[in-house]
Amino acid sequence: MAPEPAPDLEPPLLTMSGITKSFPGVRALDGVDLQVQAGEVHCLLGQNGAGKSTLIKVLAGAHQPDTGEITWRGDVVSLKSPIAAMRLGIATIYQELDLVEGLSVAENVFLGHEPTSAGFVVRGKEARSATALILGRLGHPEIDPAHHVGDLSAAQQQIVSMARALSHEVRLIVMDEPSAALDPDEVDNLFRIVGGLTADGVAVVYISHRLEEIRRIGDRVTVLKDGRAVAVGLPARDTPTRDIVAMMTGRNVEYVFPERPDPARAVDRQPVLRVEGLAREGEFAPVDLELRPGEIVGLAGLVGSGRSEILETIYGARKPSAGRVLIDGSPLRPGSVRSAVRAGVGLAPEERKAQGLLMLESVTRNVSVSSLSRFSRSGWLDRRQERAAAQRATRELSLRPDNPDARIRTLSGGNQQKAVLARWLLRGCRVLLLDEPTRGVDVGARAELYAVIRRLADEGLAVLLVSSEVPEVLGLADRVLVLREGSVVHTADARELDEHRVLDLVMEGSPTA
Amino acid sequence: MTQPASPAQQDAPIPTAKSAPAGEGWRRPLGLRADVRNLSLLGVLAVLIAVGGITKPDEFLATSNLQLVLTQASIIGVVTVGMTFVITSGGIDLSVGAIVALASVWATTVATQEYGFAGILFTAVIVGLGCGLVNGLLIAYGGMVPFIATLAMLASARGLALQITDGKTQMVTVNSVLDLGIRDAYILGIPPLVLVFAAVTVIGWLLLNRTTFGRRTVAVGGNAEAARLAGIDVRRQRLYLYLLSGLCCGIAAFMLIVLAGSGQNTNGNLYELDAIAAAIIGGTLLSGGRGTIAGSVLGVLVFTTITNIFALNNLESAVQQIAKGAIIVAAVLVQHRTLRGGDA
Amino acid sequence: MPQIPATSRRGLLFGTAAVSAGALLTACTSNEPKKTEQAADNAPAADDKPGKAVTIGFAGPQADHGWLNAINDNAKSRAKKYSEVTLEITEGSNDTAAQIGQVQTLINKKVDVLVILPADGKALTQVGLQAMKAGIPVINLDRIFASPQAYRCWIGGDNYGMGLNAGNYIGEQLKDKPNAKVIELAGLDNLELTKQRTQGFDDALKNYPNIRKVARQAADFTVESGQAKMAQLLQAQSQFDALWNHDDDQGVGALRAIAQAGRKDFLMVGGAGAKSAMDAIKADNSVLKATVLYPPTMAASAIDLARALGQSKGLSGMSELEIPASLTLYSAVVTKENVDEYLPTGFS
Repeated sequence: MAPEPAPDLEPPLLTMSGITKSFPGVRALDGVDLQVQAGEVHCLLGQNGAGKSTLIKVLAGAHQPDTGEITWRGDVVSLKSPIAAMRLGIATIYQELDLVEGLSVAENVFLGHEPTSAGFVVRGKEARSATALILGRLGHPEIDPAHHVGDLSAAQQQIVSMARALSHEVRLIVMDEPSAALDPDEVDNLFRIVGGLTADGVAVVYISHRLEEIRRIGDRVTVLKDGRAVAVGLPARDTPTRDIVAMMTGRNVEYVFPERPDPARAVDRQPVLRVEGLAREGEFAPVDLELRPGEIVGLAGLVGSGRSEILETIYGARKPSAGRVLIDGSPLRPGSVRSAVRAGVGLAPEERKAQGLLMLESVTRNVSVSSLSRFSRSGWLDRRQERAAAQRATRELSLRPDNPDARIRTLSGGNQQKAVLARWLLRGCRVLLLDEPTRGVDVGARAELYAVIRRLADEGLAVLLVSSEVPEVLGLADRVLVLREGSVVHTADARELDEHRVLDLVMEGSPTA
Repeated sequence: MTQPASPAQQDAPIPTAKSAPAGEGWRRPLGLRADVRNLSLLGVLAVLIAVGGITKPDEFLATSNLQLVLTQASIIGVVTVGMTFVITSGGIDLSVGAIVALASVWATTVATQEYGFAGILFTAVIVGLGCGLVNGLLIAYGGMVPFIATLAMLASARGLALQITDGKTQMVTVNSVLDLGIRDAYILGIPPLVLVFAAVTVIGWLLLNRTTFGRRTVAVGGNAEAARLAGIDVRRQRLYLYLLSGLCCGIAAFMLIVLAGSGQNTNGNLYELDAIAAAIIGGTLLSGGRGTIAGSVLGVLVFTTITNIFALNNLESAVQQIAKGAIIVAAVLVQHRTLRGGDA
Repeated sequence: MPQIPATSRRGLLFGTAAVSAGALLTACTSNEPKKTEQAADNAPAADDKPGKAVTIGFAGPQADHGWLNAINDNAKSRAKKYSEVTLEITEGSNDTAAQIGQVQTLINKKVDVLVILPADGKALTQVGLQAMKAGIPVINLDRIFASPQAYRCWIGGDNYGMGLNAGNYIGEQLKDKPNAKVIELAGLDNLELTKQRTQGFDDALKNYPNIRKVARQAADFTVESGQAKMAQLLQAQSQFDALWNHDDDQGVGALRAIAQAGRKDFLMVGGAGAKSAMDAIKADNSVLKATVLYPPTMAASAIDLARALGQSKGLSGMSELEIPASLTLYSAVVTKENVDEYLPTGFS
């Protein structure tokens, strides 16, 4: 990676100045400046709603700015459409992968610019060999260009997305949280690719929530807040974390976890959830687990270690091949979500938007959906009571805005997660299963969410937590189960573990001395 | 690592601090946005009424014409109410027209007519429910795609209807049924069929907006996976929805028997398209998750009024069809605009 | 969780209702009492003496409409009258491709004569030519092929004549009435026959300068559409003197709409000749005073012609040795005076 770029010697590859963009009721961008140098990794930071997505969509030609100027290699340009941006050499890899599942890898990579004969006959073989070449360059020669994209893993799909970007003549690649779906070794590979690109003089605009990644590969940082660039071109390695977080949030926040209660407190209570030899063939080996009221138990493991599958099987969303789940000593019907819900189990799923929320609906309706019979008499809903109860539950979790009629999709990730928690709070559930509760939640909002989860436990809930971020599991849970390839390899008090130890366990499967 | 005071605790509002009344915002329900769309459809209807009033003032604005338009709207209207529920849940029912045909001919066979009024009504409703049950079981528990399952029902119900009638028109001889359709049966000037339509509309509206059933329907349509994980029995809900659609078809079949005084296997021709079109221009999302009974009924009224105006002005049916297509496109475009406007 | 017992009880209720309904419904589908003998049997046959055995192939459209159903019945019952005639009848189809396939099957079976009522006359011309080339004479029933080479003999109704006779009948009834108004309830507008009927009707009315056609709406041959369109017409025209309705099936709906509106101030003429219409004419208690025939008995005649062709005979009553190349049937006007004569041919 190049040392500190010298803006006064080399003209910048891209300059965006004074970009504004308004949607009805929202000013998404309020005069943003961005300057990207060829061959650098320029990191874009900001909380959800700060305008990152809008800015990269402007850059990708998907949105037209209301005012402002974009200069590309010294010329003023207008990016009228995604195709116009692509022709200039700007490619974007979106967070929500935009691949066509029914097409093959090669067809996806060359979608829209297929190599053709006579203008319309697709030269499939040529596309496949070109795709294989790009995939090789990306360190993934094992992906078959003729394979259907729908059959690939999330990480492989990410690589295909990247191959698609590279199938064009690119000078600038925008990556929107590319590491979110990746395991640590996949992330290493990603960084290797990014390094290779920048060495070739390609600029990368990199968006991530993970500060440690920005430290590792970033050259400069631009911080967005409320549609403005509050800091432009900070050195990525040297700027103190505290300063960056302060700029993002506007206040001084640390990555803090709430205080843990005395571990002895929970021990004398009867377990509310007991999992006995629960297993699913091909996904995870028999698991035993006990969960007491007031206790937070964490499951740590890599993607594919079976952690989410265990959670979903306990919840009845998947049918176990062996074992059983007991609540207060009575077994749940295997594979029945309704049986689990009735017994007082609630799940905050990993894919919040796809599995948790009714995106067209209000906060109230999202919160009340599991407790409708509580507000109804022979099927008739008492909407006043429903709304009031939902409001009580959301206030208890300090959900913002404090408006039960707000539509859920207008809320930030952290507040959407709170709505899911409020749903189970309202239902009066006793066991809460949390799958990646802080995915897509801003750094600043995470601490608040941690505090909420701990408070719920203090009020007597039993919480089972799955997270791919080891510090989160260690910081929040009382007890930790470490998973590797579908088996529990270690169980310990969270205080007795540290991040390195857990990572060792996760990688090696045996506790190092 | 552990800090005693997290920011969440610092600025967490104490629920009692600003004890806002539970009813705050109560007067501004979520349905408001749908109502706005209904307003634009009301505008279309107002324009149509103006056109009718100007071109044919004497005939169009007469009470008898209002009775006529509402009567013509009532049968397809009842079917559309059922269709609205199905579409709101993210499904589709292509078999409504065929079910109406089957129920109407089954209820008018000579053997059924021997049981009189009750026999005809009961048979129509039960045949509708039966078809809905088959649809529902295939879709909810058989895992079939609604489009395919109801397409199969369309074909087989039409076939069975033809089988029963042998292509013949089955005249109704039960006077108590026939009398319901004539002017003497009007209650305070309102035809009984229109009263049925009104009742179905009101019940449908309440069911969708005021009951757990309606809420679950919307949840299933908005995000079936989320609904399942929230503890809703999605499959049973789907079964009930197709039963409901079948029930509406059965009621509509009886209404058609009253109106036409006969049962014919060609009844209910293209009802599926009319009902879907009315629901969609009314503001129900074809992808599910949002439905409006009021909008659907307005959609039906718009279509019926167009037909009426064209007939009163003695225009060809070809022109009517063109106008209908144009209205669908225009209404959906307007919706898109209003939807996008508030979305970002 | 109070809903658990409630929902399961509901489920049970649905179940029992469905079962009991099923039992009742099987009892209700029965349509038996309705079956009546088709009346064309009474008409004189061409030549009643049995002759050489003839196999006749018959292909028609799907009988989803009263008139088409009567066509099938007429053909079948006529064929049954001749001991030496075997009728090979195909499943009716409205799909041109399917019907072509059916005719080809009949050709392959080497039937002696073919009777074809095409779903679409023009589209089946080629297969008619094929049959003729294979040496199988074709009787083209009603909907005419594009080429005369595709049939040996065409027999069918007269749509133009139907309109003409309806117009003339109405004209005579209203000839002394100044400024008389008539309206027309047409059939499916995208069919050529509908246009021909309307043309004939309009041409007839030209002879009566005191009569003006004030409105025309097209239904689609179904009861439902007849009711809907008629109701609209009645609303649009507060006063008129006569109505011509192209089709007695949709006329059932039209009469229903007229009864519902309580109108009696005009005379109505129907079309095709359904039994229900003839019954109403005979009873003379409604606005329906006449109907113009489009006789489905043409199917019986087609069987006669096919038999004659198969046995190489002419038609009795004609001097020629060969049967004619085309026969256009007369669209008689059935009124109260002559209804008894035609009642046996009425179809339901």
